[in-house]
Amino acid sequence: MTATNKVGIFAVVFGAAYAVIYVISTEVNLPLLTYHPATGDIGLLYQPPGRGPAMYWYGWMLTSLIGASALALIATVVPEPWLQRTLIFGAAGAVLYLAVYTLALAVYEHASVELQFLENRWWSVAVAAAAAAAVSLLVPARWAQRLWPGWAWVVPLGAIAVLTYYLTPYFTR
Amino acid sequence: MVFWTTLLIMHGLLAIALLGAVTHQAVALWLPVRAAAGGFVGRFRAVPSHAYVTAIIVLYVLTFVMGAWIYTHYRYTARLALEQLRFFKVVGAFEVKEHLAVIGLILLPAYWYFWRPPLSPDYAAARRQVTLLLALLIWANFLIGHIVNNGRGFGS
Repeated sequence: MTATNKVGIFAVVFGAAYAVIYVISTEVNLPLLTYHPATGDIGLLYQPPGRGPAMYWYGWMLTSLIGASALALIATVVPEPWLQRTLIFGAAGAVLYLAVYTLALAVYEHASVELQFLENRWWSVAVAAAAAAAVSLLVPARWAQRLWPGWAWVVPLGAIAVLTYYLTPYFTR
Repeated sequence: MVFWTTLLIMHGLLAIALLGAVTHQAVALWLPVRAAAGGFVGRFRAVPSHAYVTAIIVLYVLTFVMGAWIYTHYRYTARLALEQLRFFKVVGAFEVKEHLAVIGLILLPAYWYFWRPPLSPDYAAARRQVTLLLALLIWANFLIGHIVNNGRGFGS
């Protein structure tokens, strides 16, 4: 993808950023608005259910839309190699965090001594961030010259995996 | 009730048109015919895949908007009944559907860009992969929608 190809950069980064922000919005519950379908009322940000259920889906989409649009606009003015390395950092960080935290919990579970600090996810975040930073810096220069168009589907696919995983309680009870 | 049923049927019809278009495109892209198309399957694979792009984008957005509208009614009618009946798998399937629909929607800008004429060989791989993912999402949502609708049955 050439550096002058701003539309392409916007499209790819928008999709990737939206997927990440959407996952965070759903899991942390960060809706920009709340819709109450029984009464037709719309409220700003998170609101608890009133008369009838509350819907946050539209709010999560709006939160993600604003965040992703802003990040995609910023991406169009960032040098492409920096952008590519940032996305490598993010993707590697997410995968490494999953691996490190899973390993930490397994060690905590089976250790014969008390290692309660392993339960704290911030240790795993720190380790994953450090390793991802190393990966993004050490990646061959030819891989970091251009924005990889594949981010447009790899990041959303990862988001699907996380979103589906968080819904497993519906299928196991 | 007639109003929401009409919307649901329109949503379903749009989804069928979208399913046909994206399946045509994905098959023609991943399994193109090398010789003159003969039978039904050959002709199915022989369509010009780029001709479907605008139709797929428009149909996806229309289907999504209509689904998002019907969702408001589902949330305080059908879903409450499904929860009371402890049909948690059906409720969960719909939760998956809403997320997949959003992911499909956000693929569209890149999808449109990769399919812009003249088709760039630089994006050949990304074009194939994004189209395949979009097709899989649309198939998954179509099937989930059908299953969820069967959870209570038409008009129940």
